[in-house]
Amino acid sequence: MKEIYAYREMIFSLVKRDLKGRYKGSALGFLWTFINPLMQLCVYTLVFSQIMRAGVEDYYLFLFVALIPWLFFSTCLTGGCVCVSSQQDLVKKIYFPREVLPIAFVTSQFINMILSFVVVFCVLLISGKGINVLAILCLPVIWIIEYILGLGITLIVSSVTIFLRDLEYVLGIIAMAWQFLTPVMYPRSLVPEKFMGLFLLNPMTPVIEAYREILYYKQIPELRTLGHAVFMGVALLAIGIVVFSKLKRDFAEEL
Amino acid sequence: MDKDMAIEVRHITKKFKIFYDKGHTMKELVLFKNRRKYEERLVLDDISFSIKKGEGVGLIGRNGCGKSTTLKLLTRIIYPNSGEININGRVSSLIELGAGFHPDMSGRENIYINAAIFGLTRKEIDAKVDEIIDFSELWDYIDTPVRTYSTGMYMRLAFAVAINVNADILLIDEILAVGDARFQEKCFNKMREIKARGTTIVIVSHSLEQIEAICEKSIWIEHGKIKAEGEPKQIHKQYLEFMKNGYIE
Repeated sequence: MKEIYAYREMIFSLVKRDLKGRYKGSALGFLWTFINPLMQLCVYTLVFSQIMRAGVEDYYLFLFVALIPWLFFSTCLTGGCVCVSSQQDLVKKIYFPREVLPIAFVTSQFINMILSFVVVFCVLLISGKGINVLAILCLPVIWIIEYILGLGITLIVSSVTIFLRDLEYVLGIIAMAWQFLTPVMYPRSLVPEKFMGLFLLNPMTPVIEAYREILYYKQIPELRTLGHAVFMGVALLAIGIVVFSKLKRDFAEEL
Repeated sequence: MDKDMAIEVRHITKKFKIFYDKGHTMKELVLFKNRRKYEERLVLDDISFSIKKGEGVGLIGRNGCGKSTTLKLLTRIIYPNSGEININGRVSSLIELGAGFHPDMSGRENIYINAAIFGLTRKEIDAKVDEIIDFSELWDYIDTPVRTYSTGMYMRLAFAVAINVNADILLIDEILAVGDARFQEKCFNKMREIKARGTTIVIVSHSLEQIEAICEKSIWIEHGKIKAEGEPKQIHKQYLEFMKNGYIE
């Protein structure tokens, strides 16, 4: 822990390098951070409010406030799994606390998500939905919880992928299934009672619900939802730390 | 661990698994279980030594004897199968120069990135950056991208960063072939200077003169075991004789 703090400059510079280098060479550059979620929003809105009508008022808003946080989490799954193996030059040659790599990856994705929230706020204001300032104050809390969750999952997948390369491809499917099994595109009330237990085990369920309560229903999220999210986040992070520190000693030899 | 010790290595053993045909994917793991045959090679066999603070130590031995593995263990890139390594202080390794350099970024930006990888804070780097640039002698090129550098310039920059991180322990693997003869001498003098300041230095080298010029002790490794250790000139004489005749007279 102390050591990771000592290497904070390395985390900063990796994050900076990632954010700066991400869209280098593309004509629209950083704008892609905003265009990507907007395009996805268009597709989902077309399908679910025109073709397969979901029967939810302002469906595009209902979806959008959940989709942005979901994209962060799914990137942690699908992109985070290679965040150590893609830096194998460093890992094989220099000593540094290996946790630096997943932390830097999650942090840069997280900053990306926060920037995307600028678009979310704009859409909310333009649509006339408006925002509840008091509820917005709770947003940082759920951001932090989701960051913890994202870090936990990234620690797990990035270390396991080194020993089991298939995971990289399997995770694409898992991420898709996970999205459909999380109330991102539909309200939780649609879930049949018998599956509810499974849905509550999903750490992303309370997180997505909290975002929706804050931004779509314009309410201060229920304490129970937040508590549930915190518990899941901390549990996943703890598992992540244990798995990662068990496996990290053999990274250099395995790569 | 004793306070005036820099490095203490106790009974370390290191085995490498040499796979004939290594499978990483699930299909290979499940279907071809027997194909994952491997041979265990004992690279280091119960090695123990200790190095005092401020001491210079050279590791010598023929190719594949385990000296580079020892150095990698000291850097903590890899870990021993058994035994214990205790290290006192910040380690900087000149094993792979320029790891983490980003070709599209300028020399100056790369100094910051590279020094951060060595665990320096922003403040520390700010204080050092001019010294690093001076040492590399790349004043005119420092703000151009590193991909435009020649190999020599690249190595000079990398060496300048690595040697200026103010480590307590400096690990060096066969890298004194940096730049031209004049720059090599400069590096060499710099190493003596930082050693005089109390930095512990461990060198792996085939150049016995270099070791004799910097180190007080040589450790000769043969087939993963320590064959002899002591005053460099004496050890080197035995080593050269052994390499020539296969035995010591």
